[in-house]
Amino acid sequence: MRFLVQPTPPVPDRARPPVRAFLAFAALLLVGWVASRAAHGALTPEGLARILEPLPGERLGPLVLWEEVHQGAFLYGFLLLTIGSLLVVCPVTAGLRGALLGLATVAALVDLLAPFLHVAWPGLPGWAQLRIGAFGVATATLLVAVAVAWATFGREPRRTDG
Amino acid sequence: MVDPRVARVAAPLAAFAAMIAVVMGTGAVLFARKIGFDGDTVRAFYLGSEATFAPPRSLAGLLEVAVPHLLAVPLLLFVTLHLVAFAFGARRRPFALLAGITWGCAATGIVAGFAIRFVWPWLAPLKVAAFVGLEATMLAWLMLLVAAIVPSTRGESRSGDLTASEAAPPRAAR
Repeated sequence: MRFLVQPTPPVPDRARPPVRAFLAFAALLLVGWVASRAAHGALTPEGLARILEPLPGERLGPLVLWEEVHQGAFLYGFLLLTIGSLLVVCPVTAGLRGALLGLATVAALVDLLAPFLHVAWPGLPGWAQLRIGAFGVATATLLVAVAVAWATFGREPRRTDG
Repeated sequence: MVDPRVARVAAPLAAFAAMIAVVMGTGAVLFARKIGFDGDTVRAFYLGSEATFAPPRSLAGLLEVAVPHLLAVPLLLFVTLHLVAFAFGARRRPFALLAGITWGCAATGIVAGFAIRFVWPWLAPLKVAAFVGLEATMLAWLMLLVAAIVPSTRGESRSGDLTASEAAPPRAAR
């Protein structure tokens, strides 16, 4: 891990292939995640409401919601850590890096926690759209971060002294 | 002061810590709702219950839960402990002690389900203790991780029982 995230100049070329292979799999994971939710009908408000409808007596929401958040937070956590750490050693501006990571993190948290709005306040409108939108923003932002890391990892920083 | 090497990755570490906190929190809720913290409910979960028409857990059903956890839990512990050791410069003995408790609780928690079902149902309290121990120690690891990336308001080194003192620099600095 230290070898990957703390390269000493010159950046070792041998680190680039495994990093790019990992990033390719991360992109596949994100695309697969979107496809999985689409296949389960979780990308429409009606489908989402049907999936997350609590059974009678489930005051804390359906178990399937808790299981989904449990697994989703694990995936988001490792994606944010690995992609964010790789971006740190890529020659990109701190502003771009912070924007990508911050937006992805906030969107991921909204994606995970938005259904609990429905649990806390049944009948509250807009929670499903919020969740679907946040999932879209989180996955799109992570895909952009993957693309940036793919394109720039191991490159020399652009010289600014002319 | 935050170690400048750690400060560079503070944002990814903070995002990771937040997500793992969600993982541990939802894990606690799932444990409470599905298994429960009482020995009787734990035994009923694994051995079935005539009162609730719940069948005993099958080997396939236990493996379906255990196998993903055998990947996810060690991976999570490996990365978290590695990050804390790197970011905080832990002293060897307290770090090893807390890490040993965490790893032990994780292993016991996974194996205990099989043991309750197929060996001795009265191991149910062990399952609860292992889960509580894992949650408590993971909370401690996450707090250490967050403490490593939050700037000290007094500008002093945060040295505690688990961490290196200024006289003994963090091992990660070598």
